Amino acid sequence: MMADALRIGVYVCHCGTNIAGVLDTADLARFASGLPHVHVARDYKYMCSEPGQELIRQDIREYGLNRIVVAACSPHLHEATFRKVLQEAGLNPYLLAIANIREHVAWITADRESGQKRARAQIAAAVGRVARQRPLEPSSYPVTPRVLVVGGGIAGIQAALTLADAGKEVILVEREPTIGGHMAKFDKTFPTLDCAACILTPKMSAVKEHPRIRLLTYSEVESVQGSAGRFKVKVRRRPRYIREDLCVGCLQCIEACVFKALKIPNEFDLGLAKRKPIYLPFPQAVPPVPVIDPQTCLRLRTGKCKQTCVEACADRQAIDFEQQEWIEEYEVGAIIIATGFRTFDPTPLAYYGYGRFPEVYTALEVERLLNASGPSGGEIVLRDGATPRVVGIVHCVGSRDHNYHPYCSRVCCMYALKLAHLIRERCGAEVYNFYIDIRAPGKAFEEFYERTQKEGVHFVRGKVGEVERLSTNGDGLRLMVTVEDSLLGRVRKIPVDMLILAVALEPAEGAEQVRQLFHISCSSEGFFLEKHPKLAPVNTASDGVFIAGACQGPKDIPDTVAQADAAAAQALALIDRGVVEAEPNIAWVDENVCSGCRVCVSLCPFDAITPDEEKQVAVIDPTLCKGCGTCVAACPSGAAHQDLFSTEEILAELEGILAQ
Amino acid sequence: MQCGLCTSSCPLGDAMEYPPRRIIAEAWNNSLERVIHSPSVWMCVGCYTCSLRCPREIDLTDTVWPAVRDYALQEGIQPPPELRTAFQNLYLYGNVFGYSPRKRLDWARNLEVTVRDLSKSPEPVEVLWLVGCYPSYHPRNQVVARDMARILTALGVRWGILGKEERALGDCDRLFGEEGLFEMLVENNRRLFERFKFEKIVLLDPHAYRALEKFYPRFGASFPAEHYTTFLASRLDQIRPWLKKPINARVTYHDNCCVGRRCLCFDPPRQLLQAIPGVELVEMKRNREHALCCGGGGGGMWLDAFITEHGGRRLSDVRIQHALETGADILAVSCPFELSRFEDAVKVARAEDRLKVRDIIELLADSMGLGEGGGR
Ligand SMILES: Cc1cc2nc3c(=O)[nH]c(=O)nc-3n(C[C@H](O)[C@H](O)[C@H](O)COP(=O)(O)OP(=O)(O)OC[C@H]3O[C@@H](n4cnc5c(N)ncnc54)[C@H](O)[C@@H]3O)c2cc1C
Ligand code: SF4
Ligand code: SF4
Repeated sequence: MMADALRIGVYVCHCGTNIAGVLDTADLARFASGLPHVHVARDYKYMCSEPGQELIRQDIREYGLNRIVVAACSPHLHEATFRKVLQEAGLNPYLLAIANIREHVAWITADRESGQKRARAQIAAAVGRVARQRPLEPSSYPVTPRVLVVGGGIAGIQAALTLADAGKEVILVEREPTIGGHMAKFDKTFPTLDCAACILTPKMSAVKEHPRIRLLTYSEVESVQGSAGRFKVKVRRRPRYIREDLCVGCLQCIEACVFKALKIPNEFDLGLAKRKPIYLPFPQAVPPVPVIDPQTCLRLRTGKCKQTCVEACADRQAIDFEQQEWIEEYEVGAIIIATGFRTFDPTPLAYYGYGRFPEVYTALEVERLLNASGPSGGEIVLRDGATPRVVGIVHCVGSRDHNYHPYCSRVCCMYALKLAHLIRERCGAEVYNFYIDIRAPGKAFEEFYERTQKEGVHFVRGKVGEVERLSTNGDGLRLMVTVEDSLLGRVRKIPVDMLILAVALEPAEGAEQVRQLFHISCSSEGFFLEKHPKLAPVNTASDGVFIAGACQGPKDIPDTVAQADAAAAQALALIDRGVVEAEPNIAWVDENVCSGCRVCVSLCPFDAITPDEEKQVAVIDPTLCKGCGTCVAACPSGAAHQDLFSTEEILAELEGILAQ
Repeated sequence: MQCGLCTSSCPLGDAMEYPPRRIIAEAWNNSLERVIHSPSVWMCVGCYTCSLRCPREIDLTDTVWPAVRDYALQEGIQPPPELRTAFQNLYLYGNVFGYSPRKRLDWARNLEVTVRDLSKSPEPVEVLWLVGCYPSYHPRNQVVARDMARILTALGVRWGILGKEERALGDCDRLFGEEGLFEMLVENNRRLFERFKFEKIVLLDPHAYRALEKFYPRFGASFPAEHYTTFLASRLDQIRPWLKKPINARVTYHDNCCVGRRCLCFDPPRQLLQAIPGVELVEMKRNREHALCCGGGGGGMWLDAFITEHGGRRLSDVRIQHALETGADILAVSCPFELSRFEDAVKVARAEDRLKVRDIIELLADSMGLGEGGGR
């Protein structure tokens, strides 16, 4: 395009007071109108609003503009909005440049004068670059109508069922031998006190029975390739030494195991109950297929055992000691990550005595005790078999604490109230809640708080600083809790028989590997980061990868389920569109210049580059390239180029910045 | 956030009219003038438990309490008289006892190993050893000083001391709000240290070590320093061949607050003890970051009567019970204050025949065949 044919329009947004409160937007527009090829420059309160958009469309029509610069917020937020505006007005959408004068200038500048200068520089840079931008056509490809869901807690279960009910195929990968996640451990759920099993187990079996869900338990995703619409994933399947296709779930093998007594701490019960080497984590597990633990099974450990389990299985022949790990491959169009959380280990807080005193429990352990199918059949009994008469619950253990997790774990106050209620109901014990602030902001939460107060649960405002184990006047051993009752303004010593620690929720084990595997980001705490906290709460920085549930941050079941359905809807939107338009910012290699040195091949983080042995040049697969630009920067011969980020465009941008 | 964890963690929190949380609340409310008249102001023993645990990382021990005390002193409030005397002595003589600086070398009289007194003949040394006030003047601690001199010499370390020129480093008075006195000591010590050539400073007193590590650099006085426990533990390979004489005893170790909670250094002292043949190390129910303070820090050393009056107990007496519960024969310490505090507490508990209090240095020296047997 000839330079004199360029007609650029510049639009400076006030963003309410976000920008205009710091920068003089009228001055910026005046400044822009003096830049080369600029025909129109305006400022307006909200460029992204309908009148703002219409302003651009009108000018394009009226003045025959053929390049647009919007000086506003980050392109992450509204680049797509304004590209659509160009398209609607008949322009190629890639003839747009955004000058980010909000995040890069207004929000981070206290000094107006230097801010104004920097905003001018940003605008000049965008005008310089847009003049060199070329019309681009995005490539498009069909979407594989199948979704991978990682994690089979309530989030993963809900998302999988919604998608499968909508007619999509789902691959559900769960690391444990059963799905259900944390919710499967609970007896009742706040605030409604619904029985967890009654609302969860039907969903679990629906997953198993659904013709469109392929359930892969005891498995983990090994690798992911490709991009939104066409991912290739490999799933590593761990051997349970029992063939899922042959097992009928009669559990006679467990009965028959040579281990007559239960000896091994059951992981699902957090060690509060014991199991055999061959076991089902809990009676309602899905799939109802036992697992053999190779660490403790005599046959697997020593090769020597009567193998009474095999006898019991008889002609079903489901037990297979030769089973090895294997890999399965799937193609999917979208991915939902729902790997949940784990609870904080309070052992480092030595003053709470967890691990030192048998009377100190984590809340999750108590959930197991309360569970009707748990280790004590739902009775609140201490490790020595006694029923506690006084129970203390310490809030915020590991939460709201800069030494551990500065954030509030959101559900602990409520589950503490739930535990208090259930404990009073089951054994009539006095219950003390040691809290900092009661956070009950959900629907019917405050009412639940009030209800527990009326039930006679005690509330002491203060964090426990010391727990000792004393014998009090012939009462046997009791814990003595030291707390400052900050409402009374004095230190109190309260004897209890059982102390429950309301432990924080933290990112699940292995969250960091999951993050790297799927190329998503996380917050400083390690929870997965949404693309935008308000406008894209289940999207991630990786297109086609969505997040749901507690892996994104601590949350309760209602919020988890809502988010799971939101993620399912986003996945559906992607799949039902049928095609994916790729951002045309991909890199390509000029075959005439490439020396075949292969520097780029190993550097590409997405394995998109392969050497063409015959021509001795590097070839970039446009369907795998994500436009990160690594190869372009690395190429020693300058053979690699990237659309939307050509050297010309970048130099023009720099010139614009430096000229100011 | 007013969680009160500081108060409930404080070994004297229940006895304070204005415990740490309350002080923050009063400061918010601009009513600190109420606080400064209360005995609470002088009750913090600088154990650092609250600071270490505070979920908002508020540095109560080393910042809030000194500020409150500084404010009290500025308002003309008199600290308890015992303390006034101690600080006057510090100001006049550079030690809390009020002894003459010339007597600083008394501990080394008749010592068979050579003592390089740099104040007399300056020469470059590897280790500048700050002996400290207690080991210089206090008879029980003088034994420890002599044993240390023997160990350093046996290890072939080129060490020297400052003799009559050595002065206290001033940690306790800083905590006590005597910021001015502290600054004066820092300035004097900085000028003093700069006159000599050494690779590092080694100290017996954990409080002084901590002051040198954390507060001196704020006044531009940065010197490489180590507490003797880490210094010796880093040379354990060299020490081991010397450790021939078994000490057949159950030993429990009391973490001092400065090397322990403040510097989170818990292993070196234990490594030293475990290297001694015959020693069976047992832990008290509260150990490492959870250890209970001996009550001697932050001026507490001089305020036993005052704190007992207002707090109803002496922490060293409580702590001795913890040690006795373990059934240990020896309570090992690594702080000059503790030696005297705990020996006294053992007497109060009438447990002299069951429990001995000994510095790690003494135990090492005994096993190396060099010790005088202090406290045995
Ligand atoms: C003690 C306690 C009591 C609670 N009580 C209530 C209550 O009464 N009401 C309420 O609303 N909320 C309650 N909650 C919160 C509730 O537990 C969560 O909202 C809910 O469990 C979140 O579901 P999720 O599926 O996101 O995560 P999870 O339940 O943690 O499920 C995640 C699943 O992903 C799997 N997984 C993890 N990593 C991988 C991987 N790399 N690959 C494959 N699979 C993986 C896990 O094995 C697990 O099955 C409570 C929480 C606690 C700690
Ligand atoms: S100072 Fe720290 S520990 Fe004390 S009340 Fe405030 S936040 Fe809690
Ligand atoms: S430092 Fe120790 S004594 Fe002082 S207020 Fe904090 S916890 Fe109490």
